[in-house]
Amino acid sequence: MKISLDWLQEYIDIDLPVSRLVEVFDNIGLLIEDWKEEDGDVILDVETYANRPDTLGHLGIARELATALGLTLKEQRFPLAETSKNISDLIDVQIWDEDLCPRYCGMVVENIAIGPSPEWLMKRIEAMGLNPINNVVDVTNYVLFATAQPIHAFDLDKIAGRKIIVRRAKQGEKMQSLEAKDVDLTSEMLVIADEEKPVALAGVIGGENTAVSDSTQSVFIESAHFDPVSVRKTSKATGIQTDAAYRFERGADVSFPPEAARMAASLFSQFSGKVCRGIVDVYPKSRKIKTVMLRDHRVTSLLGIEIDSGFIEKTLADLGFQLENKQPGIWQVKIPHFRIDIEREADLIEEIARFYGYEKIPIQLPPLRSLEPILDPKKEKIKTLRQLLFHYGFDEVVNFSFMDPEKQEKFTHDLNPIPIRNPISTKAAFLRTTLIGGLLENVAWNTNRGAEGVDIFEIGNIFQFDNDSYNEHLMLSMVMTGSTGERHWKEKGREAGFFHLKGTCEALLAQLRYGSFFFKEENHPHFQDGRSLALHFKGEEIGWLGAIDQKILGAYLLKHEVWAAEINLSFLFEKQTQAFQYSAVAKYPSVSRDVSFIGAKNVSFEEIRVVLEKLQLPYLEKFTLYDRFAGSSIPQGEVSLSFRFIFRRPDRTLQADEVDVFQQKIIDTLRASFNFRLREGGKIDK
Amino acid sequence: MENLKIEIQNKRKSFEDALAKVKDRHSLQDIRNEYLSRQRGIITGIFEQLKHVKPEERPEIGNLINDFKNHVQERVLALQEKFAAPKKVLEKVDLTLPGEKKYWGAPHPIPLFQQEIENIFLRMGFSIADGPEIETDYYNFGALNFPPHHPARDDWDTLYITDDVLLRTHTSPVQIRVMEKKKPPIRIINPGKVYRKEAPDPTHLPMFFQVEGLVVDLGITFAHLKGTLEYFLKALFHEKIKIRFRPSFFPFTEPSAEVDIECTVCGGKSEDCRVCGGGGWIEILGSGMVDPQVLKNVNIDPEKYSGFAFGLGVDRTAMFAYQIPDMRYFYENDLRFIRQFSLK
Ligand SMILES: [Zn+2]
Repeated sequence: MKISLDWLQEYIDIDLPVSRLVEVFDNIGLLIEDWKEEDGDVILDVETYANRPDTLGHLGIARELATALGLTLKEQRFPLAETSKNISDLIDVQIWDEDLCPRYCGMVVENIAIGPSPEWLMKRIEAMGLNPINNVVDVTNYVLFATAQPIHAFDLDKIAGRKIIVRRAKQGEKMQSLEAKDVDLTSEMLVIADEEKPVALAGVIGGENTAVSDSTQSVFIESAHFDPVSVRKTSKATGIQTDAAYRFERGADVSFPPEAARMAASLFSQFSGKVCRGIVDVYPKSRKIKTVMLRDHRVTSLLGIEIDSGFIEKTLADLGFQLENKQPGIWQVKIPHFRIDIEREADLIEEIARFYGYEKIPIQLPPLRSLEPILDPKKEKIKTLRQLLFHYGFDEVVNFSFMDPEKQEKFTHDLNPIPIRNPISTKAAFLRTTLIGGLLENVAWNTNRGAEGVDIFEIGNIFQFDNDSYNEHLMLSMVMTGSTGERHWKEKGREAGFFHLKGTCEALLAQLRYGSFFFKEENHPHFQDGRSLALHFKGEEIGWLGAIDQKILGAYLLKHEVWAAEINLSFLFEKQTQAFQYSAVAKYPSVSRDVSFIGAKNVSFEEIRVVLEKLQLPYLEKFTLYDRFAGSSIPQGEVSLSFRFIFRRPDRTLQADEVDVFQQKIIDTLRASFNFRLREGGKIDK
Repeated sequence: MENLKIEIQNKRKSFEDALAKVKDRHSLQDIRNEYLSRQRGIITGIFEQLKHVKPEERPEIGNLINDFKNHVQERVLALQEKFAAPKKVLEKVDLTLPGEKKYWGAPHPIPLFQQEIENIFLRMGFSIADGPEIETDYYNFGALNFPPHHPARDDWDTLYITDDVLLRTHTSPVQIRVMEKKKPPIRIINPGKVYRKEAPDPTHLPMFFQVEGLVVDLGITFAHLKGTLEYFLKALFHEKIKIRFRPSFFPFTEPSAEVDIECTVCGGKSEDCRVCGGGGWIEILGSGMVDPQVLKNVNIDPEKYSGFAFGLGVDRTAMFAYQIPDMRYFYENDLRFIRQFSLK
């Protein structure tokens, strides 16, 4: 809201440098966003609040400033040049919808010499950033910016039947606004109508058909009070935003319309206007003054400091409240109508604090009563996860939760995406059902900017409509492509690959002590056929990893192989973790045997693992695959697999001949199950 | 016996002659072997002959031979030192080559900064609570004292899914959910993503992170609000930072305060400071005493309990803390940007 310092002087005598004034405003919560000197005046840009419509005019701002500076508001006088005519003979006002229009006042001024405004008025209008139009229009604007009460001037002679009817519009009715725009009206909208037609959109804008023109002689001043919600809805529905609507929708002062009308009439008197006697004031249900109880001890207990009751009384009185001291330390406070924001004791305490000065309230740490903490194991687990992923060389990213529906389509999924009704753009119209889309976006961004490799992860929610409810799942996704890491002279850079990703998944599940997971070869629409694994945990599918499908890569204009994994952390974190357990360090040495086999390529490691596990060799501590190769020395379709088997007895040292027996059992079993044979020189005793 | 004496004499001489020709440790080694080899050496040969000497003469000849042997040993040793192989020089290794670098992933600056904020409050005995990002109108607005159809909602421009379901515009709904379940004392922070209908520009985004906090207990005052937030800001920035509490308006707090910190970029001295716009202050936190109606909405007696709430934008604050000029950088996820934070 623009405030002219010169204009404020109509209400109070301010004698302060602007910099000091800005500080005073800041201290009472009226932030000065900017100010500039203009034409010997100072224009302040004051930040106002939705609940303080009283500060949307110079009078309200002056009242705040007067309270802060200990000044008194000057009294306003509105002398009228009157005729002998009575207003009741000139116009008939009826309110047909008292809810939407609780009060309607009007005055009539005849014989106005329409013309340019006097210089002082033009200056005021220009200070508000508007162009002066004519003395009548300028006066209506002047009253609005002075008092925050919007008023409207009709050409009295254009009001058919000299009747003002405040009613809801009829469905299908139309009105041409002052902006020369055809407005389609609905029965939700309140209009000011004459006998025949709507002449104004109540509280929003006047109609062209009754507008004041150069030929206007008599003016009907409307100064009314409209329901804020109704004005807001009408303004939104029609897309017409005006200074009047801005004030009505925040809540005007229901007690003020007569004074605003008189103020306008008084100004019209200055332009040879003659004011007809009396005022129309239709106010069927007079609003009661609200009262709020204010207790001294509550001020102290809320602010943490005792404030002198003299200060309390003076501040509130300066702001327009009426205080009645019911008993020591308790006041009955009458709330003026212009303070629609004050409803409770706390609101009054805020007023006291604002003018007392926040900086004078002491700084104390709250008493830290010990209390039961809200435990969030999820948070701890995420912390562990992130550390581990950093360790594995993944950089963290955060993407918006939105998704382009066109790209969403490529992720054929059994998840129902949730559309946003008013998205910021059509490309962000869905909530994401996967994090992979965003990560691929990041891969494209970075590879287009010269990154040789990208290993990234994101932890965040996906969204899905299911069973008539909106569900959120916390996901972890990782993608990798190319080779990352600065290449060191001593070692090769690491190529992105499925097994790095798989190793990372295994490590993080192990680190979080979710031991009993397994991977299963399964196809999934996000991944290339035969290039994906499902991650199972106790009978539930909790994740996937694999090579991203070509058509998805195409949608992100990616040409190189991208590996991705996605794990549903919401599912995972619900599972029971294994307790950590210490186990004794082995006392007796182990015996290890390296054995190399040649066998068919299509036998999977998992199959071998299952067979070996079924064997249940008592002292086989563990076995690892340490080499795997195929090539010229190995027959077509076969592969060489080298295992290291480690045997150990807890109670004594194993003898070589005992181990021989176990080893032979392994060899026999693999031969029987898969037709594996020992590779030449492949059996090395150790 | 005389013959042997002469032989020793001769050998001694030829030893001296040979020794005079020695140029390096290899020829010295040869001479040493020639004379001192245990199996075939000349001295061993002479000792062999001792058995042919009469027993009574043996000590004398024996002494002579030993004497010769000692002489040879001494001379060889002396020359060995002279011709000693130069000290073995280690192969030259270029120790100025760069050390191995472990490739360590970098955290995204927002979760990183959020964790810094969380840690400060955890030290003050706060718990962390979170809640859904998809919320109902009631939790996001109604319970927080936003009147329906009120322009106050315009500041919280909302992304809607249906009339009643929306993306939370702040994390305050979590506070309502906590207060519904838990009686005071309550001391929580609520970090998380929030959403606004804002087209991305350098200072606005449709999604960003917030940390909000709530304290409800017996006897909580505005002075406690000031104390808590001042402690927090000093811990987050630095001990000496200037802080200003300024009246403001939020529907869910009464009295409300905006908390500004001094602009550390220009110190309030630059008219056209990019960060503070010349005002010298940066808005960091919104805060206030919890509105009695909000407490009533969750069945907490505002006559008995009071509390304060606060909130800050993680992105906005991180922008200021790291001097990042454009908020959109956070969501471009350019690794050249993100990897810098591996050092944080
Ligand atoms: Zn600055």
